[in-house]
Amino acid sequence: MGNILLDVRNLRTEFATQDGVVHAVNGVTFHLEEGETLGLVGESGSGKSVSMLTVMRLIPMPPGRIASGEVLFQGQDLLKLGDEEMRQIRGNKIAMVFQDPMTSLNPVLTIGTQITEALELHLGMNKDKARKRAAELLKMVNIPEAERRLDDYPHQFSGGMRQRVMIAMGLSCSPQLLIADEPTTALDVTIQAQITDIVKRLKNELGMSIIWITHDLGVIAGLADRINVMYSGYIVETAPVKELFANPLHPYTVGLLGSIPRLDEGRREKLTPIEGLPPDLVNLPTGCPFYDRCKFRTEKCLQENPPLMSVGVKHWSACWHYEAVREQRDAILGRKFMQPAAA
Amino acid sequence: MTAYLVRRLLWLPVLLILISLVTFALGVYGPGDPVTVMMGLRANPKIIEQVRKEYGFDRPFLVQYFNYVTNAVQGNFGYSLVKYQGQPVGALIAKRLPVTIQLNFVSILWSLPLGIALGVLAALKRGTWIDFIIRGFVILGISLPIIGLMPVLNFAVARKHEIGPLTIGPFLPVGGWEGMFAPHIIMPAFLLGLGILAIFTRQTRAAMIEVMTSDYIRTAHAKGLKEWMVIVKHALRNAMIPLITLIGFVLAGLFAGSFIVEQFFSIPGAGALAYESLLSKDYYVILAFTLMAATIYVIINLLIDITYAFVDPRIRYK
Repeated sequence: MGNILLDVRNLRTEFATQDGVVHAVNGVTFHLEEGETLGLVGESGSGKSVSMLTVMRLIPMPPGRIASGEVLFQGQDLLKLGDEEMRQIRGNKIAMVFQDPMTSLNPVLTIGTQITEALELHLGMNKDKARKRAAELLKMVNIPEAERRLDDYPHQFSGGMRQRVMIAMGLSCSPQLLIADEPTTALDVTIQAQITDIVKRLKNELGMSIIWITHDLGVIAGLADRINVMYSGYIVETAPVKELFANPLHPYTVGLLGSIPRLDEGRREKLTPIEGLPPDLVNLPTGCPFYDRCKFRTEKCLQENPPLMSVGVKHWSACWHYEAVREQRDAILGRKFMQPAAA
Repeated sequence: MTAYLVRRLLWLPVLLILISLVTFALGVYGPGDPVTVMMGLRANPKIIEQVRKEYGFDRPFLVQYFNYVTNAVQGNFGYSLVKYQGQPVGALIAKRLPVTIQLNFVSILWSLPLGIALGVLAALKRGTWIDFIIRGFVILGISLPIIGLMPVLNFAVARKHEIGPLTIGPFLPVGGWEGMFAPHIIMPAFLLGLGILAIFTRQTRAAMIEVMTSDYIRTAHAKGLKEWMVIVKHALRNAMIPLITLIGFVLAGLFAGSFIVEQFFSIPGAGALAYESLLSKDYYVILAFTLMAATIYVIINLLIDITYAFVDPRIRYK
């Protein structure tokens, strides 16, 4: 830890649609240190995936457009690179694993072909060497009979195995940064645990940084060092993982925590959903985007969108009323509060 | 796979029997009478009766059918009754078929690859003027009937044109047949291929647009593959799967298309023969053509299914 690997500044991504311009990512700023695992949490449409696809420059353009911002990877602005230079970084220094393993692998090519092509391209390996390496990678993600299975097609693997193949593919060129876009969402719970365990282990072995996108705080809790909570294209709260769970200071984060079941604190009567819907990304409000659904809202929230404010050690929240949140959240969550000291 | 193929091939005779039965019944019970056709309307009724007996047309339907099938299995498909009177149908068709096959081959050879290439181009340049122009051509190619286009093109290429002081043309011969390497083939092959070109451009475009937005293409891009590799290796193979069905239909349909074109360009192919015999009710020739078309259709369908298994690994036949 220590050196900054990725530094994203004021990133804005928009999509032109028939209904108007969709503001998917609205001035996102964050950084990632070497060896760090960052969780990106939020509901569908909060801009988690789009912001990471923007970092990878995989946004289809048109209709997409990167309206502003810098993406400094090892000090180099990825948004200023030519297509060819960016292509050499993709899959090589930055790899991405996608959400749905059932559709993310090419159905007509063997697993071996799909893993080796990046090795041949980025590392200049010959066919034999790439094949050996591919088999090693499959072993690394616990796929039995790795050598033989290189000649199999995606449909001959189960969902969990396919996701492990995707991870093996992502790791093939030993990237410095792995972006995992909800890699466990399409899988059942036991397989989810397998995948997160594999990623945790490989992260330690390979010493890479990870950005893990999810809408499931439960998955990220045991995995991330730090969490960014996103809402309608903004980062609304960021904190180290234990601090965030113990001491949430944005009403949306409190809402998210209230909507996950917990085994460690006795049975609550019911889970509390967050009422309402996120705002229309075509007509974003001038004030706080969470205003409509917020229990803490005041006139000020309607006037002015709160910026991220420092509220603790490495802890920022985009809420004018974070003090009020601090006082009232335990009552809202109905929990005997986990002590921040645990962090 | 082998067991599957054998099973499919065993169906072929069953299908042929059903098809020949229907065709034969249409011939016997349908309008028109082969003997009248052969002898003319003013022939002596007594002679007509005699000929009818000679040819066995007076026997019960099933006996006639059985005789026909027995002969057909031995390679005897009967004799032409009208224009090529007395010539065996098998030899007649065998002589004409190579011409049609050559013509159709050349028609596909230029139009199919070009159609796929244009379709890919239109899909990749979707929404731009390139896409717009290609789609315009597709609509023209599908909606212009060959029969309307033929005289216009013939006028353009087959005559001398005097444009001011210039005298140009004729550019191409528009009739006759000198084999597949002579310029005579250009016009008919162009016209026959035009529809194929349009259909394949359209279907390839649609298939490529769908494939290019799929998750595995995003994965391929995320790996940092070169754009042409993403298109050729990852996208096109998947886009080909729905196109294979179409190739089968086109191959089967070509035969019908060459009826008109061969007739129009005086090409002595099987299509022209089929056309003539249909107009003159040349009974056995029609019957043989129907059976041949059915056989081609069944075999092409089988070939399509086999090709699927090669292109799409998810398909395995048991």
